[in-house]
Amino acid sequence: MGRTLTRRILESRATGSQWEGSDYFEVEPDLVLGHDATIALIVDQIGEAIERILDPEKLFLVADHFAPPSTVDRANILRRFLDFAKNSDAGEVHLFEGICHQILVESSRCVPGSLIVGADSHTTTAGALGAFACGMGSTDILAVLLTGTTWLRVPPAIRVPFYGRMPEHLRGKDLALRLLGDLGEGGARYKAVEFEDRSDAPGIAFDGRLTLSNMAVECGAKNGIWIPDDRTRQYFHSMGGEWPAEAELYPDDDAEYEQSIAVELDDLEPMIAQPWSPANTVPVSSIEGIEVDQVFIGSCAGGRLEELGDAALLLRGQRIPAFVKVVVTPASTGVYREALRRGWIADLIDAGAVVTNPSCGACGGIDKGLIAAGEVCVSTSNRNFRGRMGDVEGRVYLASGLTAAATALTGRITDPRELLREKTVS
Amino acid sequence: MSWIVRGSALLFGDDVNTDLLHPSYFYSLDDKTVRSGFLGAVPGREDEAESTDEPRIVVAGENFGCGSSRETTLRALAMAGVQAVVASSFGRIFFRNACSLGIPAVTCSGANAFADDRDALELDLDGLFLRNRTQGAETRVDAIDPFWSAVVRAGGLILFLRSRGEGR
Repeated sequence: MGRTLTRRILESRATGSQWEGSDYFEVEPDLVLGHDATIALIVDQIGEAIERILDPEKLFLVADHFAPPSTVDRANILRRFLDFAKNSDAGEVHLFEGICHQILVESSRCVPGSLIVGADSHTTTAGALGAFACGMGSTDILAVLLTGTTWLRVPPAIRVPFYGRMPEHLRGKDLALRLLGDLGEGGARYKAVEFEDRSDAPGIAFDGRLTLSNMAVECGAKNGIWIPDDRTRQYFHSMGGEWPAEAELYPDDDAEYEQSIAVELDDLEPMIAQPWSPANTVPVSSIEGIEVDQVFIGSCAGGRLEELGDAALLLRGQRIPAFVKVVVTPASTGVYREALRRGWIADLIDAGAVVTNPSCGACGGIDKGLIAAGEVCVSTSNRNFRGRMGDVEGRVYLASGLTAAATALTGRITDPRELLREKTVS
Repeated sequence: MSWIVRGSALLFGDDVNTDLLHPSYFYSLDDKTVRSGFLGAVPGREDEAESTDEPRIVVAGENFGCGSSRETTLRALAMAGVQAVVASSFGRIFFRNACSLGIPAVTCSGANAFADDRDALELDLDGLFLRNRTQGAETRVDAIDPFWSAVVRAGGLILFLRSRGEGR
């Protein structure tokens, strides 16, 4: 049987060492992603070994969690990270420019067909470019820094081709939530998910693809990779990337998949995940009317131009109800700058939203937008685990930017379809 | 020499994520803060945060430790006395984190149906048995993959690399 794209990439980066009796073999990653929170944990252990870090050029470091820090403890964590970044000769260091996963895909360093590991579970995001990208813990990443290699095995793969045509009201987030509902939180555990856009024009927007790769990890996947196509090529070129001449970009024709989940797009409706699992999904229409205290638009899953644009579209010229907190955190300065240029930030502020600086923000329960006991929040982020975004008695629902904006406008969980129709007609 | 780990059962269900086990607001460089976040958001288990650091063995259902890669979760578990983790299955990163820190992570179908909370357990990592001394029962556990088994036996990933003469 033929090889999946994931297998092809992993095997192309193998050093030739296989552990006896094990499926694990040694591979050499092309890029190592790290951020302030997880890298700070290993700085002490690196200590004097900093001079022996292999290929610092491959190191891509971003201060995004404590950005800027809001407590003394966090200031100290960030300081450690910055000292390390300075002394390690890292290839790239980004300070307060947004979330590492977004910064990476906005650079030409996220090369299709490459092997990327990162000290964060949402490293899977980079799979949207056709790279193999998976998350690891700090010590695992420390080992990569010290040896230049890591040990992986080839995961069984699930193929997810999309057919039909994206309805106007549908976003990548709805597809991710739909898939999570079908597979469950452990449905792709240890597996590769290989997405393929075979839908009719306009196809699935690149921001939506990033969301799907990002959230592949929520059903346990090791990586969530898109088979590269013209849209990938166009996106990568727009980021200044040079398309790799000889790379692993496609699965073999007879690639072996454990499972295939064909998704017909035409009849799908907006989805929402209820507390306290991203896999606890239902159509938004089935729970409309639940009062909310907050709407959060941000994170590496949902803080891009797609979400900000949808929010601006629905909130422009409107007024958010009193006592509904709307917090918008762009995923990067690139997103922020472009949203400013298009007038979207002004639209959001005028409607009564607060816009924070690009960072992980409220998503990981870090700062600027945590919720209180008993509060309900609709969020474009990727996790609604208990306590993830604030008090353990707060309740978070996950939805697209469009659903989040419709909800911000009414103060209640709202299916965005009717509001969207009104906008398009007028 | 046999490789046996003992501890009292610390019981969990399915899909218990790392945000429940250790909420992000306990992420810190200060060990005391990290330790105090142990089980910080697990419903009904908040009192465990105050528990004594007696030896424990986690017995859990499917997909244990899914979610965030934050290693502080495992550091908190270790500080709270967790010697080994037995589950029907693990979140991928959690499994690697446990082994990388030298904490045995062993799969065992239906692990959490085999013990009640605080039962006296004995995990035999050579014989591949989990014994429940309180209930006088015994069940098979799966072998850890040989690569990760070597990592755990070395005391974690960094010690493993040193023993191989790499990354010194």
